[in-house]
Amino acid sequence: MKFDIMRDRLLDGLNDVMKAVSSKTTIPILTGIKIDVSEEGMRLTGSDADITIQTYIPVEENGEQLINVEKPGSIVLQAKMFNEIVRKLPTNDVEFEVSEKFQTRIRSGKSDFHLIGLDSTEYPLLPELSEDNQFTVPADLLKSIIRETVFAVSTSESRPVLTGVHWQIKDGELVCVATDSHRLARRKVTLEHLPSEQSSVVVPGKSLTELSKILNDATTPVDIVMTNQQVLFKTNDVLFFSRLLEGNYPDTSRLIPEEYKTDVTVNGRSLLQAIDRASLLAREDRNNVVRFTTMQDDTIEISSNSPEVGKVEEQIQVSSLVGEELKISFSAKYMMDALKAIDGQDVVIQFTGAMRPFIIRSVHDDAILQLILPVRTY
Amino acid sequence: MGHIHIMDEFLSNKIAAGEVVERPSSVVKELVENAIDAGSTSIEVILEEAGLTSIQVIDNGSGMDEADALKSFQRHATSKIENEHDLFRIRTLGFRGEALASIASVSKITLITSNGEVGIEVQLEGGHVIDKKPAPLRKGTDMKVSQLFYNTPARLKYMKTIQTELGHTIDLMNRLALCYPEIAFKLRHHDHILLQTNGRGDLRQVLAAIYGIANAKKMVPFEGESRDYKISGFATIPEITRASKNYMSIFVNGRWVRHFTVQKAIIDAYHTFLPIGRFPISVIHIEGDPFLTDVNVHPSKQQIRLSKEAELMDLIEKTLHKVIRQSMQAPEIAEKKKKVPQTGEQINFWKSMNYNNTSMPQFNEKPKQEEEPTLFLGPFPQDVLNSSSNSGFVKEETWEQVNSTDNLAESKLPVEQDINDEEYVMPIEESDEKETKDPFPELEVVGQIHGTYIVAQSEDGFYLIDQHAAQERIKYEFFKEKVGEVDPNERQTLLFPLTFHYSADEALVLRENMTHLIDVGVILEEFGTNSFVVREHPAWFPKDFEEEIIEELIEQVLRERKTDIRKLREDAAIMMSCKRSIKANHYLNTQQMEVLIQDLKKMVNPFTCPHGRPVIVHFKTYEIEKMFKRVM
Repeated sequence: MKFDIMRDRLLDGLNDVMKAVSSKTTIPILTGIKIDVSEEGMRLTGSDADITIQTYIPVEENGEQLINVEKPGSIVLQAKMFNEIVRKLPTNDVEFEVSEKFQTRIRSGKSDFHLIGLDSTEYPLLPELSEDNQFTVPADLLKSIIRETVFAVSTSESRPVLTGVHWQIKDGELVCVATDSHRLARRKVTLEHLPSEQSSVVVPGKSLTELSKILNDATTPVDIVMTNQQVLFKTNDVLFFSRLLEGNYPDTSRLIPEEYKTDVTVNGRSLLQAIDRASLLAREDRNNVVRFTTMQDDTIEISSNSPEVGKVEEQIQVSSLVGEELKISFSAKYMMDALKAIDGQDVVIQFTGAMRPFIIRSVHDDAILQLILPVRTY
Repeated sequence: MGHIHIMDEFLSNKIAAGEVVERPSSVVKELVENAIDAGSTSIEVILEEAGLTSIQVIDNGSGMDEADALKSFQRHATSKIENEHDLFRIRTLGFRGEALASIASVSKITLITSNGEVGIEVQLEGGHVIDKKPAPLRKGTDMKVSQLFYNTPARLKYMKTIQTELGHTIDLMNRLALCYPEIAFKLRHHDHILLQTNGRGDLRQVLAAIYGIANAKKMVPFEGESRDYKISGFATIPEITRASKNYMSIFVNGRWVRHFTVQKAIIDAYHTFLPIGRFPISVIHIEGDPFLTDVNVHPSKQQIRLSKEAELMDLIEKTLHKVIRQSMQAPEIAEKKKKVPQTGEQINFWKSMNYNNTSMPQFNEKPKQEEEPTLFLGPFPQDVLNSSSNSGFVKEETWEQVNSTDNLAESKLPVEQDINDEEYVMPIEESDEKETKDPFPELEVVGQIHGTYIVAQSEDGFYLIDQHAAQERIKYEFFKEKVGEVDPNERQTLLFPLTFHYSADEALVLRENMTHLIDVGVILEEFGTNSFVVREHPAWFPKDFEEEIIEELIEQVLRERKTDIRKLREDAAIMMSCKRSIKANHYLNTQQMEVLIQDLKKMVNPFTCPHGRPVIVHFKTYEIEKMFKRVM
C-alpha cells in the first residue's frame, strides 16, 4: 500500500472515527483504526464493538486532488498513537507506505515515522444492513432530538434497556422516549416519507451522544436505517453504526397522566434560574431536592433547606396558576435538565398531587414532554 | 562490706518463676512439654477456674522412680541434657531444668508417678516437700498444681479474667495438638471438653478438631525439602482467610515458636491471593538439624534463631506458593443470602406507581448468540473453545480422613501408638496428580448481569465472573513483567547529588552488595564515613520520587541482599492494570466476554485480582438444585 494524502483532511476523518475507539476493550485489535485505500478513496474505520464509525475521503473533491493513490491496500494502526502523529506532522502532505509484515512508514516534511501495524484481515467486518426500513432526518433536527431526550437515559446497567432511547415509528410520527425510571423525556416529530410499517428500536444513549458530536448544525440530510440488531446513520462521508439494546422497552404511554389538578404557566428561563439558585443549598444535602409551593396571587415559591448549611426562598410571578394548592418536592437536577431541554420557552407544568408525577411542556405545542416523579419528603 | 550475699534457692526460684511461670498457661505448657518429652501418647489436662485453682496433667509416659521424683523439683535438675555439647543438639522440648522448680516455688503440687516398677506420691508446698508416700503402679505421671501464685500476691493480682487465661491455655493446647498429631490430647475445664484429638497421627484430623471440619477440608497439604531443612504442613486455600496472623502456627523440630521471618515467608507465598489484612490458617512443621537452630534465647523458648534462614524462607515460599496455586479454584457458594430491598427517597416508576404486571420488560427470549451474528465474525479463535472440550475440571476428592473425624466424639484414648512421623505427612501422589489437572473450568458465556458480572456455565454449574477484576488480573500479569523491563543504563545526571547516610553495620552490608545496586543502575559512591552519594539515577525513576526509590532499593538490599525492580514497581503495575481495565457498569457483547474468559484462562492465577479479591465464583449444580428443592 502506498499513497499521499492531505493531512488536514485526514485529521478531520480521524477525529470522527476516534469517537468510536475506546482504550478499554477486551479485544485488542479494536484499539486500532483500520485504513482502507482503494482507487476511489480512503475509508477509516474505528469501533468499540458497540459503535462503529467509518469515514470516507474521496480521491478528488470539488476538483481538488485529496489523495494520490499509488498502490491500494489496507492496514490497522494503533489509534491513539496514529492520531497524535498525524496531528503533529510538520507539513500538510503526508506520505504512507506499508511494506511487508505491516511495517508502516509515515513521512511528512523531514519527519519519518516507522510504525508496526496490525493485520487488517483480523479487524471485524462492518455489519451489513438491508436498507428497506429507511428514512431521512435533517442533521440539525436529529441533533436537537438527541439533545432533548438522551440526558434522561439511565446510566446503570442494572436494567440495560433503560440505558437507551426508545425510537418508535407510528402513524407517520417518530416518537423518542428516554427514562431512567425517575423521570422521562419524550420528543415527537412528524416526518415525511416515514416507513408506513410500525417499528421500534432502542438506541444506546452513549451512541446517540457520540453521534451528536459528529453531526453538524446544517440541514444536511441524515439517512437512518433500522434493523433488528443495528441502526445506521448515514451522512455524505460518515457511516455511524450502533448496536441496539435488546429487550422490550416498557410501555411508557400509560405513565403520562391524563388529568391534572394544578396547572402552572411560567417563563422557563426564570424558573430555571430560580431552581439553579435554590439548588446551591440543596446540593449540600445529598438528594439535591427543592420544594415548590403555590401561593396567592399567581406566585409560586421555590425553596430549599439544608439544616447544617442554611435555607433559601424565592418567589416567582407566574403567567397563570389554576387549580388546587400544592406543595411538592423534586430533584433540582431533573427539573433543570427538563427545562433546559425545552430551552427557555414559556412552559406549562401540570400537577396531579404531591405524590404523583407531573409533566412539563412548552406552551406552544406538545412535541417535547418532560415528566418527573416527585420526592417524598415526609 | 557484707552487702552482697548469695540468694537462697527458694528466692531465686521465685525470681525465675517470674520469667517461666507467667500465667496458668505457662504451667500447662511446661507440664505438657514434660509429658511429651517423657514419650507419652495420651495427655489429659484438667483445669479448674482456668487453672488458677488447679491444673492437672495426666500422661502415660515413662514416669519416674522415687529418687527422680524428688530430684526433679530442684533447680537445674534435668534428664534431658548431659553436657555442654548437648545444648546445641537439643531434641527435647525442655532442657533448662528450671521449670518444675519454678512452678513448685509458687504453688502447691501433688505428684503421683510410676515407672511401672515403683509408684510414689509426693506433695510440695512452695517448693518444700511436705509429704511422700507410695502410690499405685500406673505407668506415667499425674501432676496436680493447685493454688498457683498463692505466695506471690502481686502476680496473682495481675491475672486476667478466667476467660482470658483459659483462652491462652486453649490456644497453647491447640498448638501442641497441631505439633503432635500422634499424641491424643484432651483438655477439660470443669466438665467441658475443650479440645480432644485422637492421636492417630493425622494432622488434618487435628485441624478439623480445632478449626472445624469445613475449614480443614479447605486446607491443602504441602511438603518440601532443601539441603538442610524439611518442611511440611497444611495451609488454607485463599478462599478461607482470617483477620489475624494468630492462625498461623510455626513448629520447628516439634516446638511451637514465633518467628517473624517464617511468618512473612508464608504470607509472601499468598501474595496477591489474599485481600489486604487477611491471613491464611496454616500449620508448618520445619525439621532441621538441631545444630542449625538455637532455642536457648529466652526461658519461655518461644523465640528461636535459625541458621541458613534465607534458604529456608525460599523453600517455604516456593513450596507453599506452588501448592496454593495448584489448589486455586473458584470459591463456591453454599448459602443463598436474602437481599434487603433498598428504600430510596426518590420514587421509581416500576416500584411505587400503579404501573404494573402487564408489560414489565420481559427480556428477549431469543438466545443471545443468534442475535448478534453480523458484527465481528473476525478474529475469534473458535478452535480454542472446541479443542479442549473434555473438561479437565474435576472436583478434588474430599479426604476420607476428614470424614472420619466424625468418629472423634466417641474416640477413646488410644492406649499405645507408635510415634511415626511419616504418618501425618500427606501422600505425595495426591499433589502430583493435581498438577496435571487444569483447575480453570471450560466456560461457555451465558450473558452479563448489571453490566458488571459475566455469567458463564460449565458442566458442573455456573460461574459469576467480575469483569473488572478479571481484566485487572490479565493486565496485571502483563504489566508485572513489563514494569521490570527498564533500562538501567539510561541515566539522568543530577546537578545536586543525593546523599544517603547509614549506620555502620548497614554500610558494611551495602559495600558488600554494591553490585546488586549497580545492576539496577544505582551507583553509590563513598562519601565520608558510612555516607554515600548518588550522582545519577536511571531515567525511568518517576520525577520527584528519585530519592524514595533509591532508598527503597537500598532497603531491599539491606533486607534481602538483592534488588528486584519488579517487586518495587508492583504497586505501579497494580495501578496500571486497574486503570486500563474495563470498569463495572460496562456493556460487553458475547464475543468480548468470550475473549476475556479465554485470556483469563491463560493466567497463572486466574482466581484473584491483584488486590486479592475473587475474580470468579462458582455455583455448583448441586447447590442450585438444592435451592430449588430438586434434591433435598
